[in-house]
Amino acid sequence: MTKMHFTRTTSASASAKGAAMIAALFLACTASNALAGNPQRGLEKSQVCQSCHGRNGDEALQDDYPILAGQHADYLEHALRSYRDGSRQNAIMAGFAANLSDEDIADLAAWYSRQDGLKDLSFE
Amino acid sequence: MRGSLHHPEITQMRRSLTALVLLLGAPLTAFAEGDTERGRILAYTCTGCHGIPFYKNTYPTYTVPKLGGQNEGYIISALKSYRSGERQHPSMRAQANTLSDQDIADIAAYLKALGEGA
Repeated sequence: MTKMHFTRTTSASASAKGAAMIAALFLACTASNALAGNPQRGLEKSQVCQSCHGRNGDEALQDDYPILAGQHADYLEHALRSYRDGSRQNAIMAGFAANLSDEDIADLAAWYSRQDGLKDLSFE
Repeated sequence: MRGSLHHPEITQMRRSLTALVLLLGAPLTAFAEGDTERGRILAYTCTGCHGIPFYKNTYPTYTVPKLGGQNEGYIISALKSYRSGERQHPSMRAQANTLSDQDIADIAAYLKALGEGA
């Protein structure tokens, strides 16, 4: 009897611990707005971007289009979200960003940020 | 009356008009040539944020963008948009407000050249 009782409490406390951990993980994920993007899925989703920014984001169709290759992922995410919510205005980018989910944005940023391109600015 | 279109005076007028249109159009398409050396000096201020690896913008939080090797035309359009207030960012607007078109062209030329190992 005692043994059974003991087993039951431990399994109950173990599942409570598990639930707490899941809740903590969930909170941690939602609290940070940076989803971990998947670069491979980003490449797959970038077909439409490629026509202006190039496959790796290192060649722009026009000189007033930015190089994306090597840019910080969280900056790229910020730019796409700003185009999506209209706080940054650009007729072309607004149309593309409107259809992107947070996950799409994270995936695209993951792809372009991992390419070779932009460099840090240093002053000697 | 169709013959009147080939009247020498009209032909001359059309030539002058064409020349005028070309002359007026030229400044719109001409690229202000940027001076990379002057740009290097002007861009010293930029390094206060953009020269510190992984320096963060706050509210909202994100890493300030890398600028080395960025396209000249894009930097020009970005700085002019900040200057006009069309693109909103308080400190970038304050910085861009101090820049002339020539300053902007020089900075853009310097940043582009950084990507080529300048």
